[in-house]
Amino acid sequence: MLSPAAAPKATARPTRNRRIQQGLRERLAPYVYVAPFFLLFFVFGLFPLLFTFYVALFDWDPIGERRYVGLANFAELVDDPRFWGALRNTFSIWVLSTVPQLLLALGVAHMLNHVRLRAATLFRMSMLVPYVTSVAATTIVFAQLFDRDYGMLNWFLGLLGFPHVDFTASVWGSHIMIAVMVAWRWTGYNTLLYLASLQTVPRELFEAAAVDGANGWNQFRHITIPALRPIIVFTVVTSTIGGLQIFTEPLLANPVGGLTCGAARQCQTLTLFLYEQAFGRFHFGYGAAVGVALFVMVVIVAAINYLLVTRIRSERP
Amino acid sequence: MKRVITTAASFATAALLVVGCTPGSSGDSGSSDSKSFEFWSFTGIDQKTDVEAYKKKHPDINIKLTEVGSTSETAQALTAALAGGKVPDLVLIQGDDLPKFMQSPDNFMDLSTLGADKMRGDYLDWVMKQSTAEDGKIIGVPTDVGGMAVVYRTDLFKAAGLPTDRDQVSKLWPTWDAFAQVGKQYVQATGKPFLDNTPTSVFFQAVNQGTERYYDAERKLSYDKNPQVKAAFDLTLKVYESGISAKITSWSPGWTAGMSKGDFAAMSAPAWMLNAIKTNAPDTAGKWDVATIPGGSGNWGGSYLAIPKRAKNPKAAWDYIAEMQSPEGQLNNFLSKGNLPTTPSVYTDPRLLERTEPFFSNAPIGKIYTESVVNIKPFYIGPEDATIGSELLNTLTSVEQGKVEPANAWNTALTNVKNALRG
Repeated sequence: MLSPAAAPKATARPTRNRRIQQGLRERLAPYVYVAPFFLLFFVFGLFPLLFTFYVALFDWDPIGERRYVGLANFAELVDDPRFWGALRNTFSIWVLSTVPQLLLALGVAHMLNHVRLRAATLFRMSMLVPYVTSVAATTIVFAQLFDRDYGMLNWFLGLLGFPHVDFTASVWGSHIMIAVMVAWRWTGYNTLLYLASLQTVPRELFEAAAVDGANGWNQFRHITIPALRPIIVFTVVTSTIGGLQIFTEPLLANPVGGLTCGAARQCQTLTLFLYEQAFGRFHFGYGAAVGVALFVMVVIVAAINYLLVTRIRSERP
Repeated sequence: MKRVITTAASFATAALLVVGCTPGSSGDSGSSDSKSFEFWSFTGIDQKTDVEAYKKKHPDINIKLTEVGSTSETAQALTAALAGGKVPDLVLIQGDDLPKFMQSPDNFMDLSTLGADKMRGDYLDWVMKQSTAEDGKIIGVPTDVGGMAVVYRTDLFKAAGLPTDRDQVSKLWPTWDAFAQVGKQYVQATGKPFLDNTPTSVFFQAVNQGTERYYDAERKLSYDKNPQVKAAFDLTLKVYESGISAKITSWSPGWTAGMSKGDFAAMSAPAWMLNAIKTNAPDTAGKWDVATIPGGSGNWGGSYLAIPKRAKNPKAAWDYIAEMQSPEGQLNNFLSKGNLPTTPSVYTDPRLLERTEPFFSNAPIGKIYTESVVNIKPFYIGPEDATIGSELLNTLTSVEQGKVEPANAWNTALTNVKNALRG
């Protein structure tokens, strides 16, 4: 396609041809440059997505029979208390992890942006440590901290004279446990995003506010938050999409019950339910139906986000 | 963001597995020479020893052993491979995963065409039945069984005024009711719980001691009607209500900690669990002993070797099975690695009977565990057995965690099973 340019000739026509060729080349080049991404996206992104919709219409045993069942998988899903339970768990864990996580990240970013902070780089880089730690390792350590008999948390409760709490056994306990793991991992990442955005805010703004007598809280309230609004929306969206797909933590945090995150499925998320159906029981069709439901939910959340972002953009000059 | 990417990647992988299902995409690579074959095993069972021993005897044979992952990960990889990927020549399947594969026996070689029909008498009847399809095809050759026993802490028993000698202890509990009585004595004497938990240590064992489990003789689901299942369930609730359970769920972090700290004095343990105890509680060496299981018989675990139909070199794989899974081969594995043989002819072999375990007060584990598997009655284990079993077990765990009232437990369990069987 991009053969070496033809040797220049004296006549007018070839020159014109060459110009057209060059124009074509210039117009094509960008597509060629982005082609690798899109090829990969079609193979690993779009095709699996569409194929999932197809599989969801079947009773599909990967090594046995497959039978077209229409929308029966979805009818079954709507009627399945395990699905609604997983949906409840997913949203509950999402709220419990995202809200404190983003609030904390905001506060920490505000502090890290402070002029007089010593060893700022050290503090900023250390925010990334939980993020680069393996999820599996984090999960196993946290699960032990929350253990009923020998967990450090219950040891503290015991010192204070409280009875031990069986976190993994209860709905709220297990949700809090997983939310803490998620927040631990993602707070630093979001802090850095906020910090990067904060550093584009002119320092004079803060200084002027300080001269006018604004304390730290007022500066935070009236400068930091408005300046960060677009990035806040961005992080809310990414953590929501991520939050709807939490998988490793519930898989490893509560090994009791195999793929159910507890004996009563108390912390089984949608992705874990999908995995249990598709790869624990080889019900590919049913698992795919869960995937489609999850997809629809992510699309709805993304649409809400799009509306929010456009509103914020139009508010700002 | 990484989260999103990871999940996207796993979805993509999932889809790829599915893509592999399209007919006609069977892999065509792999070795074709008759001197080498590929062997998929799972971790923790140490097939390497057998493979090395075989290679030493047959230097011309090249075995490529891959430890795919855990038992269920290996089964998943095998499923993907059977659905359209490159299959191994030989694969180790854990007993709980086998019924799923038995549903589509055409994915595997019928081993009786290679000579398994002549060997089948070597193995325990009930073990062999599980890998024999309805039409008589033999899909897998058993490599080992779990067997069942109760391990107990002699130091804690002594402190509670109970006998410590393993024969005397075994006599204390011919039945599960007697077992619960001993537990109560222990709790009264020490004020501490006796058993790790009831779902695994009682239900999971008692339900296997009947003549039928979740399917009836016609291979129809009968978990909700079979009185033996209900009896095992009620027994578990009764033992729980007698207050002897430490309520520490098996495989939870507190379980391994409790093992080493003496939070419970007894637990049900198949032969392969002994290694887990040694690893998890190394400081308790010499403080344990092994007694017979109430009811006398039981099994938990065991694996099978199978050859996928599309295997490149089934003959070499079969030669390996025939040699390493012969009674002599299984005995050798037991003596070196401790996997319990499935071949009753070696159960009286002095080398097996003399095998003792210092960590467990020199208990003759070969003798104790083989005695627990010879009297097992064969019953049909179907594709939904694992699902039903784990739902019943999970409900009983919920009872121990105080989330389900014992009085409602059976109905809750039936609802949970019914939900789990859909989809």
